[in-house]
Amino acid sequence: MSLPARVATLVVAFLAVVAGVMFVAFEFIGAQPAVENYTPYASGGQVNVTLMTTPETTVTNKPDWVSYFIKNPSTGSFDHTTYFAVPANTKVNVTILGYDGCTPLRNPVWGRVAGTIGGIENVSYFNGKTFSSTQSLQTFDSWANCAVQHTFAIPGLGINVPVASPTTVAENNALCGTAPCVAGTADQAKAPHSVVTFSFTTPKTPGTYRWQCFVPCGGGYLDGNGGPMGTPGYMMGQMEVQA
Amino acid sequence: MAAEFPAAGQTETGRRRDGFWLLVLWIALSVIGCLLVALVLGPHLPPGDQSSSAASQQTDFTVLSTIATPVVIGVLLYFGWALAFWRQRPGDETDAAPIHGNTKISVTWVAATGAIVLALAVYGTIELWVPAGAGAGEGPQPIWKPAGTTTSSLTSWAPGTSNILQVQVIGQQWAWTYRYPQFGGFETTQLMLPVGQPVQFNVTSLDVIHSFWAYTLGVKADANPGLNNVAYTTPEHTGDFQIRCSELCGIWHGSMYGTGDVLSVSAFLTWTQTTKVQLAALTKILPPYALTYDPTTIPAGKINTALGLTSAGGGYYNPADPEQP
Repeated sequence: MSLPARVATLVVAFLAVVAGVMFVAFEFIGAQPAVENYTPYASGGQVNVTLMTTPETTVTNKPDWVSYFIKNPSTGSFDHTTYFAVPANTKVNVTILGYDGCTPLRNPVWGRVAGTIGGIENVSYFNGKTFSSTQSLQTFDSWANCAVQHTFAIPGLGINVPVASPTTVAENNALCGTAPCVAGTADQAKAPHSVVTFSFTTPKTPGTYRWQCFVPCGGGYLDGNGGPMGTPGYMMGQMEVQA
Repeated sequence: MAAEFPAAGQTETGRRRDGFWLLVLWIALSVIGCLLVALVLGPHLPPGDQSSSAASQQTDFTVLSTIATPVVIGVLLYFGWALAFWRQRPGDETDAAPIHGNTKISVTWVAATGAIVLALAVYGTIELWVPAGAGAGEGPQPIWKPAGTTTSSLTSWAPGTSNILQVQVIGQQWAWTYRYPQFGGFETTQLMLPVGQPVQFNVTSLDVIHSFWAYTLGVKADANPGLNNVAYTTPEHTGDFQIRCSELCGIWHGSMYGTGDVLSVSAFLTWTQTTKVQLAALTKILPPYALTYDPTTIPAGKINTALGLTSAGGGYYNPADPEQP
């Protein structure tokens, strides 16, 4: 092979490798979940955000992974994403529909509500037929009572909210089997779940804050912290605070 | 640092003249450089002087930088001199004299480098010993402890006594929590320390390997599951300090950072009492204070048992799980 041909081959091979690396990098970096933008829906210094936990993620190719969903503020449907945007210096009223069963926390310290307005969360339970009265709670003992299914925590803002779980064995054995869990079918409508509400105030300046679950709920993965615990769009996400 | 052999075309007189001027310049520049590094740059070197260990590390960086300065200047000076004056003349194709087999050069080189390395080894050992480990994790049975301190009580603490303040650092994906056994054993996400009081950090993890790095405090200790890693320091100035994880521990490793605060002793005591009361309900459900925690032995409640959940993580952390290491 002549020298020009060898040089040309080398250059082409080098460019091919560079292109391959860039494709993989951008494919991973670019493949982030969609962002539910709540900013246009803020009113009177407040905005309402609704999330959902599900025991399965049947809308993805990982159907046995637990996951969060977020309500699309425009359509009202629950989308499979964990990224949302809210305005700065605004009271965020969060509702979490907890359709998963209980799992003990690895560290009970995450069983305490922190960083919310009043330092509490409000919880009611649906047992498949009726809702219980709403309770204001601050501390959950996930080891003794199996009272927590996941947490919603924004460490950068000092926020930690345990998501209460259905209360009895019967309810935990009758969980929603199709995600998202409010699609309208009879079975889903009857699925036991908790309704957790709380509020917090966003910072005055824009920024991006990661949030995560502190229950090691990645079943079958090392320490329970792999799989959905380590994948954006399932049990972790980002909250973008917009100006 | 002088030229040992005349470059091509140089005379013996020229070699000696080069050697003299190289030596003079090297000494002059080294004196200036060492003074600048030690007196001007040194006080600004990381990690600062917020604690005894940070100040010790800053001193070490200053000493090492000062020692390295004449070496760096010598190399660069010789390099520049060679470029400027010893370039090959047109038509000159002779080689410089070989130095292989020159016993004088060999002995000087080995003796000088050996002396420098051994001196630094002695200095490094002393600098680990005297400041009680210099803020580094010493494992579960530390060799070097702060002078005049004891661990006479794990359930109470008072400032100014020999009983050292115990702070447990617990790493988990992806946050640090801190436990204060001498104040009822409360656990919090805030790290507060009193100024002027020796502190013993007991560092451990609940899942993977993390590394507790209180950067500006000069403390760095790996957090291993099932192991207690002890590090010491004495905060010397009030103010906040940075905390990071310095061991790649998962997708949010880069977000595992925060700040701690060094408070006055009275403010620290007030904070402990206030926090102890605030977290009383939580402290009741924490496991008893221990130097390590084994998530596989968490007592499951009766509902957990009925659901088949036998440990933290719903059995995901079972030692018999084939996915466990």
